[in-house]
Amino acid sequence: MTELIGSLVILAGSVFLFAAGLGVLRMPDSYNRIQTGTKASTLGTILVLLGLCVYHPAWTGKLLLLVFFVLLTNPVSSHALARASHARRIPRSDKTVIDRLEEAENRAGDA
Amino acid sequence: MAKRLLIVLALFLLAMMFWEVAANYTERTALTPIATHYVAQGPDEVGAPNLVTAVVVTYRGLDTLGEVTVLFLSAVAVGLLLTMGGLDQKAEPPTPASEIVETAVQYLFPIVLLFGAYIFVNGHLSPGGGFQGGAVVASATLLLFLALPRSKLRHALLTITESLSGFGYVLVGVLGLVLAGGFLDNRVLPLGDYGRLFSAGAIPVIYTFIGLKVGAELSAVLERFKGEAS
Repeated sequence: MTELIGSLVILAGSVFLFAAGLGVLRMPDSYNRIQTGTKASTLGTILVLLGLCVYHPAWTGKLLLLVFFVLLTNPVSSHALARASHARRIPRSDKTVIDRLEEAENRAGDA
Repeated sequence: MAKRLLIVLALFLLAMMFWEVAANYTERTALTPIATHYVAQGPDEVGAPNLVTAVVVTYRGLDTLGEVTVLFLSAVAVGLLLTMGGLDQKAEPPTPASEIVETAVQYLFPIVLLFGAYIFVNGHLSPGGGFQGGAVVASATLLLFLALPRSKLRHALLTITESLSGFGYVLVGVLGLVLAGGFLDNRVLPLGDYGRLFSAGAIPVIYTFIGLKVGAELSAVLERFKGEAS
């Protein structure tokens, strides 16, 4: 039973990972690609690890450490990537209408 | 034209060489006598579950000492070259990292250091060892430099760590010569219980020295490359 539940959770995680890969292929500009790549892959990885926790309860401690590590590094690194792209003026997609970072920088420049 | 001909000739000779190797290749189905000895006697003689470590640190310990020396010399050479040439100091000041990155690195830095230490302390039990752990330690330094380019390392501390680790490594080796079967023999310390952290004689000690040395060396190299970021 636990094996079945664990496998289902892992399967759900891999669906998210697949969506992340698809998003990286299909999204129009690098910011959107970073965003899908991070959100979906963070959740997907965590689900896979949690599924493994159910599958192999003995590994839970180490796997939870991994979850913590992924939660700490994945969002921060893509934040750094997106910020670096913004600083280098990588063009946005035409459909993007709001750029809060630029607004904030303009306000900081005016003040 | 002659140049083309030479290239074709060189390629042809290269192909001949590789063809010799590839044509006579048969997959080995049995261990060579020395490998059989390592696999069969390794756990009893060295006491390390990770046989790669047993070979690297004990059976072929002298080679590893040579590798450590090569790494040391290349780190010294990099430092010398970068100081002589003088890095382009007029490079524009780096864009400061955001607060999120700085905060995350402050949490991550000690964890990554700890993980590096874990890898080299457990080198005789699990995959990894002094070189890999040292590289992880240096990657923590790299992370620190990326997030906080102004951070400085304490050179005196790095130099002392590196020198003492190298000295300790050779000292353990010489102790093996005096107390046990030969240079770098790990049986200067009791072999202990197979599979425990404090076992396999001097292997954890040696790998700790190597890990500290490699970590300190690579960190110093990274700082040389960073230059004097203002």
